[in-house]
Amino acid sequence: MAQVKSAAFKKASTRALHDQGIQHALNHVMNHFTEARASAIAADYSDESWDAMRTRAAAIKAHTIGNLDYYLDLADRSIRRNGGHVHFADDAADATRIVIDIAKRHDVKRAIKSKSMVSEEMGLNDALKRAGIDPVETDLGEYIIQLAGETPFHIIAPAMHKTREEVSDLFHDWLKSAPTSDIARLCSIAREALRKHFETAEMGITGANFVVAETGTVVIVTNEGNGRMVTSTPRVHVAICGMEKVLPAIEDLPVFLRLLPRSATGQRTTSYTSFISGPRGPSDEDGPEEFHLIFVDNGRLNLLKDEVLREALSCIRCGACLNHCPVYRKVGGHAYGWVYSGPIGAVVTGPMTGMKQAADLPFASTLCGACRDVCPVKIDLPKLLLHLRHRLAEGTGSGERAGTWMERLYIRRWHDAVKTRAALDRSTRLGRLLQKPLVRRGKVRSLPLPVISGWTKDRDFPALAPKSFGEIWRDGLGPAREPE
Amino acid sequence: MQAALCATCLVDQFFPEVGEAVVTVLRRLDVDVTFPEEQTCCGQIAFNGGYRKEAADVARHFMDVFENERHVVVPSGSCASMIKVYYRELFRDDPDDLERALALGEKTHELTDFIVNVLEVTDVGSLARGLVTYHDSCHLLRELGISAEPRSLIGGVSGVELQEMPNADACCGFGGLFSVKFPEISIAILDEKLDAIRASGADTVVANDCGCLMHMRGAIERRGMSVRAIHIAELLAGE
Amino acid sequence: MPAEEHPNKAAFLQRVREALGRSDPLLHMPDHPTLKAALPRQEEKVRTVRARIDVLRAQNLKKLAETATAASWHVHGPIAVEEAAEVVAGIASGLRAKHVVRSTEDVFRRVNVDSALRRSGISPTVLAAGRSRGRSALKGLAFEADLGITGVSYAIAETGTCVVTPRKGIARLTSLAPPAYIALVEADQVLGNLDEYFALTRLVYQKSRGRTPTYVNFISGPSRTADIEQTLTIGVHGPGVVHMVLIA
Repeated sequence: MAQVKSAAFKKASTRALHDQGIQHALNHVMNHFTEARASAIAADYSDESWDAMRTRAAAIKAHTIGNLDYYLDLADRSIRRNGGHVHFADDAADATRIVIDIAKRHDVKRAIKSKSMVSEEMGLNDALKRAGIDPVETDLGEYIIQLAGETPFHIIAPAMHKTREEVSDLFHDWLKSAPTSDIARLCSIAREALRKHFETAEMGITGANFVVAETGTVVIVTNEGNGRMVTSTPRVHVAICGMEKVLPAIEDLPVFLRLLPRSATGQRTTSYTSFISGPRGPSDEDGPEEFHLIFVDNGRLNLLKDEVLREALSCIRCGACLNHCPVYRKVGGHAYGWVYSGPIGAVVTGPMTGMKQAADLPFASTLCGACRDVCPVKIDLPKLLLHLRHRLAEGTGSGERAGTWMERLYIRRWHDAVKTRAALDRSTRLGRLLQKPLVRRGKVRSLPLPVISGWTKDRDFPALAPKSFGEIWRDGLGPAREPE
Repeated sequence: MQAALCATCLVDQFFPEVGEAVVTVLRRLDVDVTFPEEQTCCGQIAFNGGYRKEAADVARHFMDVFENERHVVVPSGSCASMIKVYYRELFRDDPDDLERALALGEKTHELTDFIVNVLEVTDVGSLARGLVTYHDSCHLLRELGISAEPRSLIGGVSGVELQEMPNADACCGFGGLFSVKFPEISIAILDEKLDAIRASGADTVVANDCGCLMHMRGAIERRGMSVRAIHIAELLAGE
Repeated sequence: MPAEEHPNKAAFLQRVREALGRSDPLLHMPDHPTLKAALPRQEEKVRTVRARIDVLRAQNLKKLAETATAASWHVHGPIAVEEAAEVVAGIASGLRAKHVVRSTEDVFRRVNVDSALRRSGISPTVLAAGRSRGRSALKGLAFEADLGITGVSYAIAETGTCVVTPRKGIARLTSLAPPAYIALVEADQVLGNLDEYFALTRLVYQKSRGRTPTYVNFISGPSRTADIEQTLTIGVHGPGVVHMVLIA
């Protein structure tokens, strides 16, 4: 499995905040995405309102996930009936083994890949290389980060943090191309470089945006055409997807095909949507002779088991929650330390990879709710983040409880202080006494207290008022009272 | 009409002048304001930290204090959301308290919601001066769906012009616990908000939540900026 | 013969079930509207769809021209069937195409693209494997071609989409590998929206007792990317120039 570096969120986010390249890219790209989405939604699309579509899509997802065993079984039977092979992988290692076994059986030297987030979870490229198979990413963004030896910065714009100069340097180093600052030229360099792989690679690896259970159809939504290449030219096609990607029937697709591109890139539709229902037929002119679909768990059961978190499995990976998240917009994707970033990354990383190492992520949110408002399947991300915070603070088992004793001490002190008004007034009096040496003109410029001292690094903190509102009320603002 | 004021702990302890302003405005509108004196806090701090046992304990005290009131007015979108929205989550597995929470939620109103939708007033008869810009506090906007009410109230203040800032609905970066756990990110988000306020040209930024205000003011004062950050009640109390 | 069931399937599904709080498989199909619609109901639905398509034919055609243009198709027509071949030849000449590949949808029986192209000095090749041409030769031919021409199964007005269904005589690469592409769309192939397409498709699936096309492509404009600095660039892996010829 890909390394999880989420424990370093704080350090990595600080680094990102000071990286001018990243800040520039975020400022530029995030607004581009949010504006494109807004105008796509404002435009006319169907008889159904945007909100009604979201509600319906959420209901379809909830239904499917609530009966996931049934639909996985149905999908499996349909795909095998269509002549394909279906695999069920418990974890990243399992899925990787399956891919490599297939590759070995077909004597594959090179595998061309279309974008697949699950393969990122698996760290598949490194594993293929170790097995002597040369993996080539063919989505332009993925290709760039593969050359750079990085992980995706964003679910749908993996190389958004790279400038054209950086891309030109990478192409120069790896492809010996002449340096250029012309983006169209850079695209055609990649086109030429990848064409020969499309012609010769023996294996194609893709993800799946949706898997239709009834007909056994894998749906791939792309813009560049590499997804079509990867599913057309090699002898073998292996699709890898999370087990939650299944939908009941093809007539469930339209609502998702409307929501996904508008939420992701602000397009009415993507350039290509491909529907693959098995290997090529006996009389087909081209296409893979063998088709495999691997359903991957890799920690998804941990989401499924938790009735609140289950909702996160409805995610269709559009990236809208990232684009609208004030935190993602400042720290970018790498800070989150694994494959998924932004609000959805903050929700799934812990349950999928281990709660404790990702304990910072559910707190790395202002709970502003912008993510929930834009989510095409109405995932209540703030609720899920709060639920995770609860599990981290009071969860069962030491395996996931991550709050520090200092934090608990604060909470206990607070709890004791606000239990009754009398207790609160006592605490206030004590607080006023203790704050005296810190207060200058009604402000605290430095709070020498563990955990909360960070507040005053760039901000003043208000001093406790000389008289609380409660006291002001009692002392005359409220109705006159009988003398005691 | 009678209404019980839930001052919120921030107003009670740090910004009592906001509480006084609320009382001034409500009394001007002939509301008989009461202040149940046993009140402390709604419990949001602990709830957002994940400490639901402590949060529930404090929330029960809150319900004890307020559940016999006819209307509860809260000068904070965040605390109002805690009561109206998140008590449901907090007492999810506790039917008795859930029922109490739902009933209390029904009669709890954020201040501007109360004035515009319950009292049906948009001109509170106040007088002020200057160019004002309005910051949408996240919970007020996205948990309670309130954005037109404060704007119409600001529009009703004589002598004041409302000048929208770009992305008024963008988070200021406070987020309670977040601002303490991740101060650098919190400040980076705030920088963008302060830029937007500056771009509006306004001399005053108004918000409905002392959390956002404490955060904005903290940086405004540290940097010696000239803009004022005030609670909407303070604007509405002017005469 | 279907492939064998994966050895981990039963255990995998059991874990899923238990995570959902059940210990046994469902006895019945879960209640879901799209899945439950059996053949008679689907037939009825499709009758309505067809009636709608008939009534709205003119509007759909007009809308398709708009949405396709918005999606960066070069739209031609609607034109009479007799003129279509010349329009195609004109586009090919304009592109200075030398190697043209095409597929074999029915539309080519009505639109004699080959002779029009030959009159322009271009000799097209049907991209199909056969006794004389292996599959790797087919691939080579596709990658060398500078223009691909296909018919469509349907076009969808909502999205500016051509639906291409590869099968015998219709290679996947014809509409993909060459840098330019022409789609021939006949008026009676135009649907209003995605829902109509999937309703029709599901009926075909049901009637054929569970057979489904191995591969279908929605083509909705040129190949595009914005992966470098969010700058839209056309024609990265698929065709950068796409023409839609509407035949009335």
